[in-house]
Amino acid sequence: LTAESVRLSWALAFLRGASPLGWEGAIYLFNMCLPQLFEIKVFKEKNRSWFINESVQSGGLLHFATPMDPLFLLLHYLIKADKESFQGKFQPLDQVVMDDMFPDCILLLKLPELETLLRHVTEEKEIDKKKYYKYSKEKTLKWLEKKVNQTMAALKTNKVNVSARVQSTAFFSGGQVSSDKDEDYVRYAHGLISDYIPKQLSDDLSKHLKLPEPPASVQNPPSKKAKLSDEPVKAKEDYTKFNSKDFKTVKKNSKMTAAQKALAKVDKSGMKSIDSFFGAKHVKKK
Amino acid sequence: EESIDKRRVHLRRDALRDPAPVSLHLLPCEVPVNRPTPVGLFFTPAIRLGPDGLEASFRGHSLRGEEVVVPPGFMGYVMTEEKAEVLVGKQKDHEREEQELVEPPSVPQALERDFDHFMGATASFSSFTVWGLLAAAIHAQVSED
Repeated sequence: LTAESVRLSWALAFLRGASPLGWEGAIYLFNMCLPQLFEIKVFKEKNRSWFINESVQSGGLLHFATPMDPLFLLLHYLIKADKESFQGKFQPLDQVVMDDMFPDCILLLKLPELETLLRHVTEEKEIDKKKYYKYSKEKTLKWLEKKVNQTMAALKTNKVNVSARVQSTAFFSGGQVSSDKDEDYVRYAHGLISDYIPKQLSDDLSKHLKLPEPPASVQNPPSKKAKLSDEPVKAKEDYTKFNSKDFKTVKKNSKMTAAQKALAKVDKSGMKSIDSFFGAKHVKKK
Repeated sequence: EESIDKRRVHLRRDALRDPAPVSLHLLPCEVPVNRPTPVGLFFTPAIRLGPDGLEASFRGHSLRGEEVVVPPGFMGYVMTEEKAEVLVGKQKDHEREEQELVEPPSVPQALERDFDHFMGATASFSSFTVWGLLAAAIHAQVSED
């Protein structure tokens, strides 16, 4: 929660709504005064608990409420409607954003600047002063490309390590660190954005960005390093697993864990990097 | 209809304003219960500032701790879900809450219905302590930069 949003808010609600991927619910925080949408991400790691004042709380979960672009959610409904019922027809928005499972989706219609938002992903028509919309894949891909570029810039600013290949090379050639390639950034950013869009659209975006299929060698190289650095950890009891290196090992894999993804997303919104967050001041002090 | 309503949890705005600061420790082990425990008796008095940061122990294991700060622009809250019967018991609070809900003109009609689940922030924090096992911290790989 940003301090600002709390100060200004009149009422806030946690909502369970359709996730952009459509296959499960997700929890959102909706500020009904502004109005503004936040997504709730959970940091979850094995073998963690909280001491909260004079009590213990198992699980050790850490929830983040970060601002979310409502267009990702709207897109979910636009695509669904276009596919299932209105194929290529213009429709008023209140007939598109409907959900028996998650009726709170109508809140999305209350968002300010909705029309400006929708221009990124739809074609619109006005008949008798009522707006009608139609999903446009071409416009959506252009919008997503901008999102990828924006995310890339954030990754660079936050110095997120995106390249599995560069890391493994650096490891084996004795600490020679070269700068990450743009292509790696694009792929990484594409992966982050893909968490918010359906698989089909993600594939289309990949083609649109002319992303080559990742060669097999890129998908696997961290395994050797991961094994090496895991060894001292495995030798201990289960709950000895905490150390900052766990995170670093994960980061070097091209596939991230859910928590890792969540934190990478959090990075974008101006938070500190995961290293500074969980770890390892002692590393920096060395 | 009822199950649909339950999907919505209302967060009390009042409670977000100035909740008491809380002392938070993130432990490197799973304690599979949620209940009061005398942290101030067995844990916090044993915390020492060693050469590598904070030191403490839990169940005979040495721990090393770091204070981590909530990211800039953010605020930490400990949230507690309130039971429906609590609301009935505190009728006055409930009424005030409803009033607040109706007040802003931007609240859509559908939201003026009662929320059946409420959540409040019982405490706030701007930093917490992450604990790791001492041995693990010593043998952790340092970063390359």
